[in-house]
Order: sequence, then structure tokens, then C-alpha cells
Amino acid sequence: MSDRNDLDIERALDAMMAAGMNRRTLMRHAGAGALSLGVIGFLAACGGDDGGNGAAKVIAKGEVSDTLNFSNWPLYIDVEGKKRPTLDKFRREYGTRVKYTEEINDNVEFFGKVRQQYDRGDSGGRDIHVVTDWLCNRMNQLGFVQKFDKSEMPNVVKNIEDAVASPDFDPKREISVPWQSGQVFLIYRKDKVGGDLTSVNDLFDPKFKGKVTMLSEMRDTVGSVLLGNGVEPEKATKDQALEAIEKIQKASADGQIRRFTGNEYTRGLLSGDAVAALGWSGDAVQLQIDSDDVAYRHPDEGFMIFTDSVQVPVGAPHAFTAQKMVDFVYRPEIQVPITAYIQYVPPVKGIRPLLERSNPELAESDLIFPDLSKSHSLKTFSDEEEQEIEAAFQAAIGT
Amino acid sequence: MSLLQRRPGLLPYLLLAPGLLWLVFFFLVPLYYMGRVSLEEGTIFTGYEFAWNFETYTDALSNYDTQIVRSFLYAGAATAIAFLIGYPLAYVIAFRGGRWKTALLLLVIVPFFVTYLIRTLSWQTILADSGAVVDVLKAVGLVSDDGRVLATTGAVIAGITYNFLPFMILPLYASLERIDHRMLEAGYDLYGSRRAVFTRITLPLSMPGVVAGALLTFIPAAGDFINAELLGTPRQAMIGNVIQSRYLELTDYPTAAALSFVLMALILVMVLAWAKIAGTEALMGSEAR
Repeated sequence: MSDRNDLDIERALDAMMAAGMNRRTLMRHAGAGALSLGVIGFLAACGGDDGGNGAAKVIAKGEVSDTLNFSNWPLYIDVEGKKRPTLDKFRREYGTRVKYTEEINDNVEFFGKVRQQYDRGDSGGRDIHVVTDWLCNRMNQLGFVQKFDKSEMPNVVKNIEDAVASPDFDPKREISVPWQSGQVFLIYRKDKVGGDLTSVNDLFDPKFKGKVTMLSEMRDTVGSVLLGNGVEPEKATKDQALEAIEKIQKASADGQIRRFTGNEYTRGLLSGDAVAALGWSGDAVQLQIDSDDVAYRHPDEGFMIFTDSVQVPVGAPHAFTAQKMVDFVYRPEIQVPITAYIQYVPPVKGIRPLLERSNPELAESDLIFPDLSKSHSLKTFSDEEEQEIEAAFQAAIGT
Repeated sequence: MSLLQRRPGLLPYLLLAPGLLWLVFFFLVPLYYMGRVSLEEGTIFTGYEFAWNFETYTDALSNYDTQIVRSFLYAGAATAIAFLIGYPLAYVIAFRGGRWKTALLLLVIVPFFVTYLIRTLSWQTILADSGAVVDVLKAVGLVSDDGRVLATTGAVIAGITYNFLPFMILPLYASLERIDHRMLEAGYDLYGSRRAVFTRITLPLSMPGVVAGALLTFIPAAGDFINAELLGTPRQAMIGNVIQSRYLELTDYPTAAALSFVLMALILVMVLAWAKIAGTEALMGSEAR
């Protein structure tokens, strides 16, 4: 889920009003507000030593355990009343009680939280965590995760979607297995743009000056602009990425782009302060419910997809069972209710025919079943390149 | 005999102890760690190590000079506007408020019972491009037909002014309210014009309030990031936004810490410079004499 939850103040407000502030908003706002008082010092001074960089060890064969500790993002599994049916089914079959914690709200924040533990080889009791692919790669480089034993995961081997099966950092999906994917769209006000947008390049049309927003998530925005430039994000060079950032920077300095946002672009679209935006598929459903004038579309040149994947940290007390759990959700009949509930792009093949029977309307939704042959994800750059690109992007968005 | 009776000189220290401990734990210790972090080297993925890395400071200053200057300009403008709005208001409440004083003061404070974030977000709605306010402003020609109010420098400065206004008004009120009316009468008795009485008696006597109000407005305004984030565009980004992004987006703790130090140092320099100009007397209050 990447940084879609960025400085999502609107959601924070909703949450505050509905159920009190959640942990992340507290950290973002209270924490950031207190920065100049030295919170930085306290938090960062806790940093430990470097992690090892050895190759990950394969999860040993063993017995299925009684419990399993699963750390995930909020709203990322099916819920029925107070129950989570998928976990109940797992318990019925394997006798394992899953302790499911929705503790991950932000990749970087989660990394900061677990870094020291993981560095000591202590998973903090976690058997499974779910983070976005770029962080999966980092976790592996630092030796924080175990390698899956694919011979124990027949469903994953058989059913994994081709589009997410072999990213450059983990071509055989040995240290990460996709949980769900989300898409980056053009989202716009039909009534105000006069027609349809078809390309990311339309966002640079002077006609929409000051009425365009893009995402503050670098990989999503830069990847989309790269596609608009005719560059495949998977094969982009550093210079091409910097060129795309320059284009963004120029549009930002000219006042073409009004803001770079997390989820709060939805507010701008609804109020008409923005007429065209880069946005996430997860928000498209709600936006269309809120307004008939809002439309979304995949850019003709292709679209960015981000994937959050499951990993088993080093020191996980129930690694073998964790592996079973991951394989369990790769059975199409188990995945279907998850997909129907959360409406992300499932990484499992064979969902559509099952949904056609149980929920034909959803089976037609391109939020869940986009044309994956047109999906892209940004190349994994080397550490130094990545840092340079990220810094250039932050500069382009004003900070 | 108790210790205090034997050594009465200890009493002031005992009374100071809670405050001093507070300062040590919540100011000096964090300050030390922040200073340390600002000199570290590395990334979150490789870990940070202390390295006397002063380059972070020079880099931060050269990369973010625009945002630093902008922050002080915005904070200065907001402080000036808050003063222009706040002084007459505080004056009227203090001198002409009569039995309504308390009610009027309450009116100044009441909006601030609502949290900062929600108030700023409301401005987003009020000033929306296609909202009623902007329509009216367009109709009377204050905003050009394709212009807007939100996402401009004006909106950010106005937001800061609005959010810190009570910090200006309350100290002004406190110092104006204390002025002995007989002094003003004496001024008139000596054939002082209204203007002379104001500039030579009222204003000088209210200087402690002016200085306190200006500091209470300027200092938090310079480090503010919410107004620029919600009411501005990247072109209005302030140093607070940079610190936030460095810390939370890039997890570049050293630069974030260095920038916080720079901000603190610059504010200190400005306060001292002002104390020099306005005189410590004004800064410390007229009783200091």
C-alpha cells in the first residue's frame, strides 16, 4: 500500500472523528510537529549497527504450529462482523490460531520500527509481514528475511499471476510473495476537462494549469511520467528517470501542478480545485460513489502497478506455518472472498471465473482485473541511484 | 533543625528544581541527541554513524536557502499582519471593553477550541476555487477571472496569520490592560494630543506585549508546515515542510536534524538582534528596570 496513506489528513480526520486518532496519524502530525524539539534525536539515536548482507536461508521443514503472528496493513483482508473468515478457514484446516495485527501503515515507518529487532535476528514475534516490493528488496539485502521453500508452496508456484511473478529484484519470488497489487490511474472531472484524458501527458496540458495534482509517492508519479515519455519504467536508466523528474519539476515551478498529495487528492477532485490527477485504484471506487462527474482511466501508454508482498522475517517463531499460510491464500477459492472484499488486484490466477459466479459485477471491474499486459513497475535502481532519484524528486515537489 | 532552616539559601534552588529538570530532560537532552544526529553519516538502510559530518549543514543551507528565506518572510509578514489586526482589537477590548471584556476575549479564543488541523482544512473548503468566497471576490474584481485564492502565497500567509492571531492578541491585551489610566489623563492634562498620548505613553507602555506577541507569533510561524502543506503548492514550501519530508519521506535524519538546528539558530539570532534594537527592557518587560 506504499505511501498512499501519506499525509492523508482527510482520512486522519475521518478516523479521528470516527474512532480516535490512529497510530500513524499521531506519529505524522504530533511527531512532525515536535521535530524541532528533538524527537529526531531520540528516535534516530536509537539506530543500531549495520545488518549482515548474507544470502537468505531457506525456511526449514517442520510441524504446523498452534499459533501464527501475521502483521499486515489495515483493510487488507476480508472481514465479516468481528471475524476474519480467511483466517478462520485456515484454523479449521490446520488448527492454527492466527494472531493478525494491522500494524503497518507506512513502509518507511514500519522499517524504522523493526530495523533494530530484525538486525539482531529477532522478528519481534512476527511470522509474516507485508511490505511494498521495493522494501522487500531492502529487507532481503540486509539479511532480514528468510527464503521460501517453493517445494512446500505448490499453489503459489501454480497460480501466481505472470505479471507479478518475476520482478527484477526477486525473479523467482523466493524472498517475497505478492499479497495484493494496486494501480495508478488518471482520475479526472469529466465535466471540467471536456472529454476524456487518455495519456499522462494530458496532465501537462496548459489548459489545466494549476488544476493538476500528482502523487507524492515517487515510484508512482515518476513511473507514470516515464510511460508518458515513451520509456518503459522497467528498463529506465537513471538519466531517463531524472529527465522525467525534470519535466515534473518544470511543471511544478510553472504552476501547472498544483500539489503533490497522498490520498487527499480525492478532496481536490471533488471540490473542483483539481480537475485531473494521478490517483490510486483503491480510491476510485469511493470517488465514483461520491460524484458522477469523476471518471478514471488507464493511460493509453500503460499504467503503473505497485505490489505489496509477504515476507517471513529472520527469527520468525513459526516460519514453516507462515509458508503454509501464504500458500493457503494462493488457492483461488480462498483468494476470492479477499478480492471481493478489498478490491485490489489479486496476484492469484483463476479468480475471475469464480467471481463471475459469485459476484458477476465485480468480475467485470477493471479495478480488480486490469489488462495486466499494460502494467508496469519501476526498475529497482542501485542504492546510490535510488537516493539521487528520490532526492531529485523531493526537490521537484518543493522540499 | 531541618535542612532548609540551616541553609535558607537552598530554597530558591529547590523552587527552581522542577523547572530546571524539565529543561534538562525535555530540552537539553534532546538537543544533545539532535546535535549528534545532525553530525551522523549514513542511510536508514545501512545505519547511521557519528562522524563529525559538518557537510550536512553546508549542504542543507545551500540546498534549502530558498525555503529558509521564504519561511522567515512568511513568518515576518504574518507577524506584521497579526500585529496590525491584533493591536486595535486588543486596544478596544482593553480600553473600551467595559463589562464585555471577558466575553470579547472569549470570542478571540473560542475558534481555537477547534483543532489546528480542522481549522486549516476548513479554509481549504471556504477558499475552494469554485466556492462562494472566490466567486464574490471575482465578481468585485479582487481576483482575476482565471485566478484563485487557495494554493497561493497569500493563502499561506493568511492561514499562518489566522492560526497564530490569539498569540498576538492576548499578550497585547495583557500589557494594554495594565496601563494606568491616570498616566493617559496626565498626558492630556499636559496638552498632549491623542496622537502624542498614544505614541508617547500607550505604545511604549505596551511594548512588552508587542514584543511577547511578536515572538509568540513569529517563532512557531517560522517552523510551521501545515499551512504551506494545505493552503499552498510546492512553490510555497517552507522549511518545516522540508524537515518533515527529510525526516519522514527520505528518513534522512541528519539533514532533518541539521535543518532544525539552523532554524533554531536563526530564530535565536533574530530574537537577540531584536532585543538589541528594542532594548532588553522591552523584551523583559518594563518591570525589569
